[in-house]
Amino acid sequence: MNFTITRQNLHSGLAAVSASIPSKTTLPVLSNILFEAREDGVWMSGTDLDVAVRVKVPADVKEQGSLTAPGKKLQEITRELPDQPVEVTTRGDQIELKCGRSHFKLNGLPAEEFPTLASVDFSDAWDVEGKDLHALIHHTSFAVSTEESRPILNGVLWELRDGEMRMVATNGHRLARMGIPAGTSGAPSADFIVPPAALQQVQRLFKDEDRLSVAKSGNHLGFRAERTEVFTRLIEGTYPNYDQVIPRDSDKLAIVDKKALESAVRRMAVVASDQTHRIRMMFEPGRVHLNVLTPDLGEGHDELEIGYDGEELEIGFNANYLLEVLRYMPTDEVKIAFKAPERAATMEPVPADGETIDYLCLVMPLRLLD
Amino acid sequence: MNESPRTRRILLVDCDAFYVQVARLEDPEGAGRAPLLVVGGSSGRGVVTSASYEARAFGVRSAMPSAHARRLCPDCTFVPVPIGACAERSRAVRAALQELAPVVQAASIDEFYLDLTGTERLFAGETFTESAWRIREEVLARTQIQVSIGGGTRRVIAKLATRRAKPAGVFVVPEGGELDFLKTLELGDLPGVGPTLVEALAKKGLVRVEDGLRVQEPWLQNWFGHRRGAWLYRKMRGMDNSEVDPHEGRKSISSERTFFEDLDREEDLERRLLELSGSVGATLRRKGFRARTITVKLRDHDFHTRQHSRTVPEPVESDQAIRSVAGELLAELRAQRRVPVRLLGVGLSGLLERGAPHQLGLFETEAVAGETERDRTVSHIVDELRDRFGTDAIQSGRLLDGPTPGRRPRPGKE
Repeated sequence: MNFTITRQNLHSGLAAVSASIPSKTTLPVLSNILFEAREDGVWMSGTDLDVAVRVKVPADVKEQGSLTAPGKKLQEITRELPDQPVEVTTRGDQIELKCGRSHFKLNGLPAEEFPTLASVDFSDAWDVEGKDLHALIHHTSFAVSTEESRPILNGVLWELRDGEMRMVATNGHRLARMGIPAGTSGAPSADFIVPPAALQQVQRLFKDEDRLSVAKSGNHLGFRAERTEVFTRLIEGTYPNYDQVIPRDSDKLAIVDKKALESAVRRMAVVASDQTHRIRMMFEPGRVHLNVLTPDLGEGHDELEIGYDGEELEIGFNANYLLEVLRYMPTDEVKIAFKAPERAATMEPVPADGETIDYLCLVMPLRLLD
Repeated sequence: MNESPRTRRILLVDCDAFYVQVARLEDPEGAGRAPLLVVGGSSGRGVVTSASYEARAFGVRSAMPSAHARRLCPDCTFVPVPIGACAERSRAVRAALQELAPVVQAASIDEFYLDLTGTERLFAGETFTESAWRIREEVLARTQIQVSIGGGTRRVIAKLATRRAKPAGVFVVPEGGELDFLKTLELGDLPGVGPTLVEALAKKGLVRVEDGLRVQEPWLQNWFGHRRGAWLYRKMRGMDNSEVDPHEGRKSISSERTFFEDLDREEDLERRLLELSGSVGATLRRKGFRARTITVKLRDHDFHTRQHSRTVPEPVESDQAIRSVAGELLAELRAQRRVPVRLLGVGLSGLLERGAPHQLGLFETEAVAGETERDRTVSHIVDELRDRFGTDAIQSGRLLDGPTPGRRPRPGKE
């Protein structure tokens, strides 16, 4: 293998791939990056066996071939190299870098030892716009569960339908759901449960203007644009019926200024219990009172003027859940809907006239009374 | 300075049927007029939090499924737990006690330890018993809450004396009278002596504390293991140096067993794990807690000790949920090192009071919530059966399969 590449291209290729390399591994080849020099450029790949990233960088390839080499060291070296073309060659299992007067030889491992990336067939793929995918991931993936005891909730549910796609994530206490109109590609409907680590790579590596092909083969999902591919193992199982738990009969509606509510909740959270983070919200016409009382610590009170003309109602929440959900609300005002102190409350954006945003977050309350 | 240890003067203040009292105070026209009153479980599927003394006469007990309580006492009035008011009244009692005693430790929502050591001169005009009566009357006057007070030179004595004091009384064990007092009790009355141990003791002919006091320490150690034997020896004599610590709360519940012979077969370990999970689960429920963290501890034959813990998303209380997590933890530990095992333990921590405010979940399925309402009900029913008919009344089928592995064989007639 022999190719010449600009320092910039080598650096951006390594940066793209090395984020997928596990920091600790029992399999040494996983801390390496696979280089494959082809006629039209150099492909670099990295994987932690769950998620794999593959990028193509332009290079002048003199001799095709492949080898794996330590990703972290290569990245550190490239960062320090002068801005000159880098000549990369292999000698046996060693990779050699020459750039100006700098010269490095690093021990690699044969390409055959690198795990085969999932082979995903893109001939029957869905077409997705980068910006749509980004919006969905950004607004939902924060809500996934990090508890290992319920693996199904460790993923984001992605529903692809003709003309629409949706993502849903929940940890069983709060939930985020977003839908976006999508073009009709004629591809069949599908549901995937995608690990958030893969979605992070998608967010990082694809641009808003990219048009992505998304395809599934076996238990793997592939994302592909011109020079970038991300593959991931899907989470197997049946996602809980989230639609069933979204309340449709909430009869109390409040319109609240997002920033004002956020800062009031943040203030209350300071005095809330470390265990439950409980705050109480008491809604009355035109106003919401926020209260917190933590034995052995103290208490706090705040109030906000809001648009509300329903009955009085007191409801308890984990302040952290409220803050998270508020952070992702894309409008200045939010609509909070609820029915009773032990029923789920929903939060939705209040878009400008003529605009629609299909985004809903749901937070389960904390029980105040038995 | 005088370095000789001072006689400690410890009181345990225990509110009588606390939830019932509060419910009556909050609703004098309703709950206040119902002698047969049950608090909690009013939703139909819940469990009894507390029952009035009148209702207790019908067999209604706390932690009993309310459906069962209704059968025992059809005329009972059921009211929901006034949680907010209970917390408020509890704080009021505590505040009153803090004015009356130098050191106050809240042991639970309705139990408070007081340390009056060193107040002999301050309250020179009255005896320790008189001080206790005065505190009782003061608490009643200030908070309207009836309490019973047990007293003694140690925490454990005060705790045991409280049972004698109830309801609405005071019972102080005089200094030097501890042994005579303990002799009036059964071994099962001692804190930490559970049904299993009571049974084991009974097999040795030991039922009353008095019986146990005649046995020398080495014999107890021989019968029940070194540590447990020593612990029992001290317990029966009411030896307890623990301090009244205003900042202490209950932090964990655990149970462990050292096997008579090392166990190496997975199925044997799983059986013992099942038993331990059931034992900590029963204690957890009896104390009215739910747990978020489950720990399994292994000591290998070479004394190498290791443990794994897992924190579950929702606090759990059922045997089903505890043993399923414990089983996975045991499998992980065994996968790391598979050698004969000397000791196995199960611990629960991250304890939350059952009635405490908690996060409601979206989904009620087991895969997501960890345990279902059904799991909880089953565990409470099992507890209730065991309370009435003994530990062996109901067992997991797997525990019935032959002798318990790793238990000391009982000398039989061969």
